[in-house]
Amino acid sequence: MQLFVQLCVDGLTLGCMYALIALGYSMVYGVLRMLNLAHGDLYMIGAFIGYFILQWSGGPTALALPVPLVLVCMFAVAAIGSAGIGVVIERFAYRPLRKAPSVAALVSSLGVFFLLESAAILFFGAQSRSYNTESFLSFHTGIHLGPLNISLVRILTVVIATATMIGLTVLVRRTSLGRNMRAVSADREAAEMLGISVNQTVRNTFIIGSALAGVAGVMSGLVFGQAVSSLGLVAGLKGFTAAVIGGIGNLPGAMLGGLVIGLAESFTTGYISSTYSNLMVFGLLIVVMLLRPSGLLGKAIAEKV
Amino acid sequence: MRTRITLTLIAAGATLAGVTACSTSGGGSSSVSGGSASSGRGFSSGCNATIAFIGPYTGNFAQIGEEQLHFTQYAIDQYNHAHHASIRLVEGDTQLQPAQAVTVTQQFISDPNVVAAVSGGSSQEILAVGPLLSRANMVDISGSANQDNLTSSGFTSFFRVVPRSSLQAQDISAYVLGHLHPKKSVIVDDQSSYSTAITSQLLAALTAGGVSVDHESVSQQTTDYSSLVSKIGKDTDLVILPWQIAANAEQFAQAMQEQGVTATIFGTDGIFSPSQFNAAGSYVASFAPDITQIPTDQSLAGVMEQKYGTFGTYGPPMYAATEVVLGAINKLCTAGTPVTRENVLAQVRNTDDSSSILGQPIKFMPTGDLVGGRYFIFKIDADKKYTVVSGVS
Repeated sequence: MQLFVQLCVDGLTLGCMYALIALGYSMVYGVLRMLNLAHGDLYMIGAFIGYFILQWSGGPTALALPVPLVLVCMFAVAAIGSAGIGVVIERFAYRPLRKAPSVAALVSSLGVFFLLESAAILFFGAQSRSYNTESFLSFHTGIHLGPLNISLVRILTVVIATATMIGLTVLVRRTSLGRNMRAVSADREAAEMLGISVNQTVRNTFIIGSALAGVAGVMSGLVFGQAVSSLGLVAGLKGFTAAVIGGIGNLPGAMLGGLVIGLAESFTTGYISSTYSNLMVFGLLIVVMLLRPSGLLGKAIAEKV
Repeated sequence: MRTRITLTLIAAGATLAGVTACSTSGGGSSSVSGGSASSGRGFSSGCNATIAFIGPYTGNFAQIGEEQLHFTQYAIDQYNHAHHASIRLVEGDTQLQPAQAVTVTQQFISDPNVVAAVSGGSSQEILAVGPLLSRANMVDISGSANQDNLTSSGFTSFFRVVPRSSLQAQDISAYVLGHLHPKKSVIVDDQSSYSTAITSQLLAALTAGGVSVDHESVSQQTTDYSSLVSKIGKDTDLVILPWQIAANAEQFAQAMQEQGVTATIFGTDGIFSPSQFNAAGSYVASFAPDITQIPTDQSLAGVMEQKYGTFGTYGPPMYAATEVVLGAINKLCTAGTPVTRENVLAQVRNTDDSSSILGQPIKFMPTGDLVGGRYFIFKIDADKKYTVVSGVS
């Protein structure tokens, strides 16, 4: 039972991060009907920005500012930084290709992915940077019941991720920005005729999606302890898988997909073997695609012929 | 017109890439000071030749390759400075890619001035370039490639100053059984060929020694080890990580700390990195000693630290490898024999250096393996310092 609870905690933490990445994929796909393969790199950049803010605040062992303030700065600057890069990517790599065949945008996003990863190696180096979270958020703080250990940083991660997801849902359903996004997603031309600025809506979508990736990157650094230039590849792949499992383009689906993958990885490692965790995740993807091609919460869309 | 401009740009880009991949640095350009392992050993002056460095000094493994290149360059600079010689170093960047290693090696082979190579890359690269260098009779001494089959693949010009990989499992299991006496242990491989090979050897040796051993496997791209640590539990005494990425091992150690798991971590040479892995109480094996702990190397270590900052165990073997080549060239020059690839090869085969900077003699078996090669085992202290606990004679 203790192992079960511990694995639930581990899986939820991981799942929350996948969910935040998956939301970015889903939002962009929902609005533009394109896969932004560079999205995982925005997560990596967020992790690096968080690391540098930590260093500028005096370093993990000698913070010059109160810990809560440093954490707020890390999340805020990472979200802004990743959002800024997301906007630049959209403006220069995707917008010119909006009327081109969808494969052109896909290839362009692949190019952006390698560009960002190479740039990260060039500017940040190939070696990993350690957050050393234990120095300022001790693992001893949190919930410790017998052999069950839930550190404060994990609690913080789940709380922030949940609050972010709820906030995003409210934004999409209750605000004019969200209404515009839904309108562009449903029919871009009709939305334009109704006076909605497609460019602005797409830009806002990239800002929000990229900011979420930046937040997830800082969470990853805090929980798993490192920022490294190769971080975006696997996280992006898992986030994309989560989005597809949940139903790409569907925001609650992206959240569900992230949690399903996180828990699947955790339980496979804990009860079967870590050897099979990736096998289980991608096997799950195939099974879901076979049984529900539009994903767990996705709706089948009739193709215009 | 546009096509012509495009072609011109492509050609210019290709030229630039070629120049970057195979840049040349003149010997003796760096200032040389401090202690010298090669000076005062009776080298003659007036030798001229070119040595090639083949290694990954850009890309994901640049940190390793840069350290290796610094030590190689410094060995040559010292030699040139002490003996007024003009040995040159040409550098070929492999980025740890066998295909790129083949390209730069072919360039070196086609240059008649290059008489020998020292390589800092992986075993996969040696497997790719070994046949080319053997056909060209060009010596290649590696300071890091330790895969067993490199010296049984028929490469007639390949040598290494580091022990072969199978000795690592042998030395680690001997230490574990002799000193740590675990009741329950787990080996986690990182799914690379390096890791799975050592894992199977360790599994066999520890099981034969009466230790209960579980086996797990994670990808090198894994970022979250918490579930695995939950599974390992608190009754495990020893976790062996035959991994290639030190930062991953540090992450694993943090996950253990977070969950209050107190098992001892034992890493292989792939995670030997004082700057990236420093979980107190852990053990790490290495194919080379920490020269900062060898009294006769203090001066060299001090100079290298001053010039390039802290270093690990990848640089010193390259220094030793370069010294072997320099020694061979020097003998030829002293005897008035032409410094050709064939003659350098013959001299390297007869190497018998009783006092290398690695704290052990360098002499090669007919296969190219190091005679008496062994692994060094370090323990990480509470103050995160690596201290050698086994392997020093």
